[in-house]
Amino acid sequence: MKEKLKTFIFSELIYHEDPSSFGDDDDLLEAGLDSMGIMRLIMFAEKEFGVTLPDTEIEPDNVQSLNALERWIKQAA
Amino acid sequence: MLLELFLLQCRQRPDSLALWEQDRHLTYGKLIRQAHTVAASLQARNIQPGQPVAIHLDRGIDAAIAIFGALLAGACYVPLDLKNPPARLAFIVADAQVGVVLGTAKAPAWLDTDLWLDIDSCPEAIPQPIETSSESLAAILYTSGSTGQPRGVALSHGAIAAFANWASGLVDLSPDDRIASSTPFFFDLSTFDLYGVLGAGASLHFIPSTLTTAPARLSAWLQEQAITGWYTVPLLLAFLAYKGNLAQTPLNNLRFLLFAGEVFPTPALMDLAASLPRTALYNLFGPTETNVCCYWQVQRERLVADQAIPIGLPAAGCELHIEPETSELWVRGPTLANGYWSEGGLRPFQNDQGWYATGDRVSLENGEYRFHGRLGRMLKCSGYRVEPAEIEAAVNALPGVMDCAVVGMDDPTAGQRPALALVFEPEMTIAEIRKVLSKQLPPYMQPSRYLVLDELPRLANGKLDYQRLRTILEG
Repeated sequence: MKEKLKTFIFSELIYHEDPSSFGDDDDLLEAGLDSMGIMRLIMFAEKEFGVTLPDTEIEPDNVQSLNALERWIKQAA
Repeated sequence: MLLELFLLQCRQRPDSLALWEQDRHLTYGKLIRQAHTVAASLQARNIQPGQPVAIHLDRGIDAAIAIFGALLAGACYVPLDLKNPPARLAFIVADAQVGVVLGTAKAPAWLDTDLWLDIDSCPEAIPQPIETSSESLAAILYTSGSTGQPRGVALSHGAIAAFANWASGLVDLSPDDRIASSTPFFFDLSTFDLYGVLGAGASLHFIPSTLTTAPARLSAWLQEQAITGWYTVPLLLAFLAYKGNLAQTPLNNLRFLLFAGEVFPTPALMDLAASLPRTALYNLFGPTETNVCCYWQVQRERLVADQAIPIGLPAAGCELHIEPETSELWVRGPTLANGYWSEGGLRPFQNDQGWYATGDRVSLENGEYRFHGRLGRMLKCSGYRVEPAEIEAAVNALPGVMDCAVVGMDDPTAGQRPALALVFEPEMTIAEIRKVLSKQLPPYMQPSRYLVLDELPRLANGKLDYQRLRTILEG
């Protein structure tokens, strides 16, 4: 799941970072993930992993890093 | 001239709320007093009427004080996008030939400290009154330029006032209104917030930046603040409709929403219209050079998922003309900017009859204008305008790069994204190019795709074959 998320993020949302040197706990928001990126990421995750991510849980804490995202999506499944 | 209505409100309702941000509120009386101190300090620094003054502050109360201070001193303001790398900011400050850079605390490392003025250090004072005419310059807004460098669009007091007053009338703003604000001041949308809203005696509520990534808390905030109107970009509204928990947060006070900057995807707009059945929705349209030249009030019963919405009718007294051969939209009228700011002077972009050729392809159907994309190479990426030539100029300047071209790839939510095809010598790498570009260009201008070729595809006449290039990039 984490690999799929990472591939999507670094091919579709964030372009100027080198994915090979980006760690699973590194800050995605600082790397440039903005509201548009989060919206697209959520659409991708809901479709790809067949989950519904509750509106009220779309918070910076849950999208801050690849590890946080994976935790959040697994919890919603 | 632009501040006339605002100054009237300051006299009539000094104790009314003007600006709200988290943990800080300012009445009209306090706002004008603080703007006066900035204006007087600028005059003490010998800033002349019409001289550019840069604003090195993120959107919010401090930036509003700095902007009003600059205008009261007769200066014209140049709002900086602080997300830009220092090299680009330094270029803009030099290109605009600004006399002062307004900010808080210490000057950034890239700036000559002689230019810096900390607005918190300005002593209380009343500035000399300055006469401004509708022709006087009020603001220079930098966008991506087709010449390979950022380019400033210079707006007069009259042009901004024509839009702000028209928009204020369109939605019937009154002192009872509480308007949300999320637009950075370097976008022309912000002129509604600063001059329309505060000219009407209403209050402006800056949306805390953390909320734009937490849609459910954003709608809760709009509800708590009893927001009555908001002028923003489609993307944020689409996010709100998609994940804003609107079923539980009905936003009863919200009278109107204005949006501009990119095309609102119709299915997302239909969701929004259904969630907010009593809110009037308006699509505003126009390049920075014209501010807004077209508008359409959304008629819910006419929304069809696979049809783009119209851009509608001429706005704010603008005259529109469609060039028969190219379908290009031409605009003239009171909201038109004075020209491009170049080497300390104005370079007009209108022809002899005052028309500005927008580069937008439009049609007129049943009395309504419709937008069909761009004629030239300009891209629209996440609401920002991006000239491929500016990215190409940055790439071509790198050692080892022999040739390059940027094309726009369509994107479902970002509008378009720049993709880069290039030819380089063996000692250069994509990782290196990516690294250098991240220091020179803002995030929305970073190429989303890199393609290394032995040579760029060309037509028989030697010109770049963009169509083939796009096919290769998409493949």
